[in-house]
Amino acid sequence: MAELGHFALILGLFAAAYAVLIDILGAWRKEIGLIESARNATTACWFCLTVAILVLSALLIRCDFRVNYVAEHTSRALPLLYRLSALWAGAAGSLLLWLWLQVGFAVIVFSKTGEKERNFAAGARAIANFVCVFFLVILTIDNSPFALSSPVPADGAGLNPLLQHPAMALHPPTLFIGYAALVIPFAWAFATLKTDKKPPFLSSTTRHGGYPLFVQARNWTLIAWLFLTVGIVLGAWWAYEELGWGGYWAWDPVENSSLLPWLTATALLHCFRTYKPSTAIARWLTALGLITFSLCIFGTFLTRYGLVTSVHAFGEPGLGILFLVLLTSIWVAVAMLLWRKYRHRSIGSQVIGRPGIKFIGLCNSLLVLLAFVIFAGTMLPFFSGLFTAQIITLKSDYFTKVTTPFGLALLLLLGICPYFVRHNVNRNWRVFGTALFSVAAVAGWLLTKSLAIPCFIICGFTAINLAVDFFSRDSGTEKSKQPVGPRKTLRWYGSRIAHLSVVLIFVGMAGSGAYETEKQAALSPGQSISVGKLNIKFEGLKANHGPNFTAVTADVTVSKNKKLVARLNPSQAYYYSSDKQTSEVDIKRTLGGDIYVALTAVDKNSGLVNLRVLIKPFINWIWIGSAGLVLGAGLVLISFYRRKRIV
Amino acid sequence: MKTRTLKRALIGVFVIGGGIGYFMYQAMQSSWAYYYSVDDFIRHESAAQNYSFRVAGRVRLGSVEHDLQKMRLTFTLVGAETALPVSYEGVVPDNFAEDIEVVVQGQLAPSGVFQANMLMTKCESKYRAKVK
Repeated sequence: MAELGHFALILGLFAAAYAVLIDILGAWRKEIGLIESARNATTACWFCLTVAILVLSALLIRCDFRVNYVAEHTSRALPLLYRLSALWAGAAGSLLLWLWLQVGFAVIVFSKTGEKERNFAAGARAIANFVCVFFLVILTIDNSPFALSSPVPADGAGLNPLLQHPAMALHPPTLFIGYAALVIPFAWAFATLKTDKKPPFLSSTTRHGGYPLFVQARNWTLIAWLFLTVGIVLGAWWAYEELGWGGYWAWDPVENSSLLPWLTATALLHCFRTYKPSTAIARWLTALGLITFSLCIFGTFLTRYGLVTSVHAFGEPGLGILFLVLLTSIWVAVAMLLWRKYRHRSIGSQVIGRPGIKFIGLCNSLLVLLAFVIFAGTMLPFFSGLFTAQIITLKSDYFTKVTTPFGLALLLLLGICPYFVRHNVNRNWRVFGTALFSVAAVAGWLLTKSLAIPCFIICGFTAINLAVDFFSRDSGTEKSKQPVGPRKTLRWYGSRIAHLSVVLIFVGMAGSGAYETEKQAALSPGQSISVGKLNIKFEGLKANHGPNFTAVTADVTVSKNKKLVARLNPSQAYYYSSDKQTSEVDIKRTLGGDIYVALTAVDKNSGLVNLRVLIKPFINWIWIGSAGLVLGAGLVLISFYRRKRIV
Repeated sequence: MKTRTLKRALIGVFVIGGGIGYFMYQAMQSSWAYYYSVDDFIRHESAAQNYSFRVAGRVRLGSVEHDLQKMRLTFTLVGAETALPVSYEGVVPDNFAEDIEVVVQGQLAPSGVFQANMLMTKCESKYRAKVK
């Protein structure tokens, strides 16, 4: 059966390679037959990948330990759902999943294009399949999920217990859906470089139910962004719930490599929103589309190749270097196409456009710069090792320091943005309001030396502006000559909810970051410590047994002014099968903040325990804000597919 | 006209780029941590005391001691030839164990014990169950 999977991959590789060549040839000679053939080859490639993924799933469910991947990631005792989630527990399986999704999306988008866009779509599909060929080469030659194991083990190694958690089981595939969907705007951006004429942005609407590619690129960017957001938040939430250090973000290279495409995808999304033909935004779109997907590939290379030491390191070098070759070849092609375009037709002056577009340009610059400083910090160990004999790494406070000003500037812009769509605010008043709050923020920072204060001030400013905008009159029902703002459609509400959610997230980050109280203590039963105004008392230990683990649970009471606030039960579990232990924290959640207690060490004989207690104000606003962000983006996405008017 | 715009743009790029570059350099310098393997670290030990370091090595089998009263974890980090005693106060990651690769971050105390404030284990995607 494994042979079938391997054979499907090889067949898929040939189909993808064929599709690339024939698409280029077809687009060049403008022959419909060739383009149709390449389209069918892409679909065939997707079928091959589907077969491969089904075979791998079947092998995992059946615990066929003759296959190395299965033996390494499952065991007989593993529940069925986690056996299936082993599909993305390892490098080879997750790459296959990503590729399957990516080719599937490409088939959906590029098979139903109008006549006018046929050539354009061929170019876009060619680059998407080019990426596919690289992935398949890695999957067939270097890191095949169907490689056989010798000798065949009696039982598999099992899934890492850290991954046996619903949030962690879902975290990788959501990210992969995001990465895979970003191939659509990427391919679209690449194809705009290729065309000699003005790219078919909005001009060509198809009659037969399909969407023009510009709209497809926009919609898929939002889909990708939505999934990336969910994936990143799931990862952060899991780290907070499970790892016991009480943080949600450690600025680890792998975390950064998922954040980078998210930042540029955010910029890309806003470009699509404000797009007007032949403005500076058109250039931003192409650049951001190319950069965003490149960052996804780069992130994969970073983690798979183990370029930078990380907690997550998969550390299986091999042909991982091919990711770098892929990136280089993409950017060489981009440079060549730009050069050709420059020689044939000036790419020079473009209209700047209305103030709103300038504003979006400013936001984009900030987001890209933010991505750049994170990128630079993440890559410093690599570059310092390359150019000097000494590897220099950065502690995580670098990232906090360097990202805060950019974050605050973006938050301020978020507060200003309603001014550009609503025209009933006096100009002087806007300038005055913005200046007042900015000065207050700087003053707050200078007086308290804490960056949380300016953050709260700007949050206030932004929230006021967004609220005024939210409750202001809908110009759609207003019969006056001068419209006061945009019509309040579903899309409008979606984007405003998302923006307000960002403010909530900032409140949560600033509050939990700046006003956190942390205490560690060694306690015997009956002893207590005070953390802030709270009294934490360790009552005693309990033991309990589960199906494949045994656990000790600490009974902890939290009281304030001798009144009981909460009873918490952090525990430590020990898994027999894998000889691993995990600690389960217990959290008392309120909107004002969390009381977070982790049992970090236990001496079963004397009953002595080490507790780690954290008070994290406002942290839940991060999760509430994230949910709002997803809700808002979801509403916008619904509006994209519901509206008759396409833009 | 055109060259003037170009000049302006260039000056703008230099000013903004320089500003951000300087800002990044400042931020980097204060959170610099040199990365060494245990062997390299021991070799360069002379100038070691005022800086932060990240040291990578393997936890020696049988060297781990967890003092619950003092909330301190002590172990020996070994390289190919040399060894470094480490004392760590903080949360011990769940997958910390003897005989695995770890990275510690911190400073070298005059006593020769490495005082770590951060302990990172490599969470291997390929991990083996204990042989029974």
